[in-house]
Amino acid sequence: MTCGFCGKEIPAKVGLNSCGGCGSRCRKIHCPYCGYANPAPGKLLKRFLLAEEKKDDC
Amino acid sequence: MTSHSSPPKIVLVGNPNVGKSVLFNVLTGSYTTVSNYPGTSVEVASGRCRIGGRAYEVLDTPGMYSLMPITEEERVARKILLTERPDVLLHVVDARNIERMLPMTLQLIEARQPVILVVNILDEAERLGMTFDLPRLAQNLGIPVVGAVMKRRQGLEELQQAITGFTSAPRALEVYANDLEADIRRLAEMLKADYPLGARATAILLMQRDQEVETLVRAEEGEGFPLIAPVLHDIKFNRRADLNLLISLERKRLTRKMLEGAFQQRDADHLMFSERLSRWAMNPFSGVPLLVLVLYFGLYQFVGNFGAGTLVDFLEGVLFENYINPAVVGFFNRITDIYWLRELLVGEYGLWTLGIRYAVALILPIVGTFFLVFSLLEDTGYFPRLAMLVDRLFKQIGLSGRAVIPIVLGFGCDTMATMVTRTLESARERIIATLLLALAIPCSAQLGVILGLLAVYPGALVVWMLVMVAVFLLIGYLSARVLPGENPVFYMEIPPLRLPQARNVLVKTLTRMQSYFLEILPLFLVASVILWAGKMSGILDLVVKGMTPLVRALGLPGEATAAFIFGFFRRDFGAAGLYDLQNRGLLSPVQLTVAAVTLTLFVPCIAQFLMMKKERGLRTSLGIFVFVSVLAFSVGWGLNRLLLLTGVLA
Repeated sequence: MTCGFCGKEIPAKVGLNSCGGCGSRCRKIHCPYCGYANPAPGKLLKRFLLAEEKKDDC
Repeated sequence: MTSHSSPPKIVLVGNPNVGKSVLFNVLTGSYTTVSNYPGTSVEVASGRCRIGGRAYEVLDTPGMYSLMPITEEERVARKILLTERPDVLLHVVDARNIERMLPMTLQLIEARQPVILVVNILDEAERLGMTFDLPRLAQNLGIPVVGAVMKRRQGLEELQQAITGFTSAPRALEVYANDLEADIRRLAEMLKADYPLGARATAILLMQRDQEVETLVRAEEGEGFPLIAPVLHDIKFNRRADLNLLISLERKRLTRKMLEGAFQQRDADHLMFSERLSRWAMNPFSGVPLLVLVLYFGLYQFVGNFGAGTLVDFLEGVLFENYINPAVVGFFNRITDIYWLRELLVGEYGLWTLGIRYAVALILPIVGTFFLVFSLLEDTGYFPRLAMLVDRLFKQIGLSGRAVIPIVLGFGCDTMATMVTRTLESARERIIATLLLALAIPCSAQLGVILGLLAVYPGALVVWMLVMVAVFLLIGYLSARVLPGENPVFYMEIPPLRLPQARNVLVKTLTRMQSYFLEILPLFLVASVILWAGKMSGILDLVVKGMTPLVRALGLPGEATAAFIFGFFRRDFGAAGLYDLQNRGLLSPVQLTVAAVTLTLFVPCIAQFLMMKKERGLRTSLGIFVFVSVLAFSVGWGLNRLLLLTGVLA
């Protein structure tokens, strides 16, 4: 995932609550480089995106 | 190349997505293993290959942006450089972004690494009109440079020749600006041990407060460290404000020097449109009009007129008013005749009539349109340019361009933005940003409702905007004078401006809408229950009676009190209450303006207050709460008197 602010690549393992800030499962991925809160797709949307990616790969 | 009993090591480094893994696969074929780097969860691929009849071990490191690590991946990549001591280090860069990536090459040379620069993706760069004189670049840098299109194996042969013919580490690079160079040399000369990155690069990392490097130096220097510590402390203290900025600027300068005669953008006089647009966005003379256009079309027209006007009118005025509400209210009235239960479900403050209707029919279309514009701008890369544009102005109010992140996010949701203030460098900046977010930054739903309401009276909208900007700047300016501390320095790499991708924008918008809706719906329902309980017990009447004189002092009707009480639960809840008042024809243009100003400045909602308490502590949060409340009513009162006195908006 690319940060929407600084454009740097956020490592895949930087997951939800990566900032360790609130533990609120806020569906944000905080960029480790600039702190910007990037939206992290929920389960349903992620499933849809994965299906789309699979379709693209085929 | 040094002789070893084990095969010599080739290590691949570079930014993410520059084709490192492709090169790794091309070099190693199928002889690879992927495993976690010891003690971490970061995967590192290793393999073997034969070049010119000689066996090599090849390691592919995780993406890194500089030798100063921020993520675990970067930490592992640097650790590999420190511990593996590569015989050849392939620095892979994307030719299209060579200016942004070459500073790391300079760092690697500075760190005495045996670097070969691989300029990958040359074909696409050439398609963009870029031309390279790679022998000249090699001469300037003093290291071998190979051009490549690795996905087509183009340049592989040259790279293999460069690897087999590689002889030694690069020559020393050119120096930085005088005073900075003097500090680096002073510190480097004190480092006596043999460091894998060399004394110079180690000294720079020490100055940049790299904890791992400091621990290493402490261990390596042993009894000599107490002599180094005061010098290091002095340098760090004297350069506390601008060291990283200076180093970045020096590396940029050196990068430009290295690229002189080695890189050309065709039609340099006629820069690509995106490059020109990028410069316009950051130049105050063109950037401010561009910002006004973005605000006018993005916020006023799309969010205000379309989202809060057309969409809300349709959802609330047509769908809910004519079809859904009568059906739901009729249904509950049929199934129960218990008064308190009916009130709880479909009464004045009922779960359906207030909680769900506000969330679905009023707030959702507004935040949906807002997040669409927000995600679109975000995907173009406009925000970092906005940060550079407002940096000078923000310095006057004790902030820097970095504060654009929480301020811009605040227009989405102030609670989350308050949390993001932790990324600001000084405590002073964090307090000022928290105060300004609580005071003068309306969240998306509040902003949308207010824009929608005031759009009917353009004069009222202008007054509201002027008051908000004035309060933001004045309170920021005064805070910067009252709170002790130095002005922060802001510098960032500007990513390329790009065309927004429909899929990205859609995913970001839907994600934000889902997240927002799931957050507000329970709060709206809880607020409805509290208000219902207040109504049933008579407490709400007492609160309304208590607040009514205050609201009347602002020149507003007593009914507006409810909107202020709603606003305490959530800012957007309060704005929706204002929408109801306006729909009932209870507000004149002056009253509407005063109510909008006061409600925007009014106390942060419960969630924001809790976040403020968590981030800034109870004392500061209570101070901000009281200050904001008093200021909101004072400004509202003063504005009402002024508007009545001058006859503006009459």
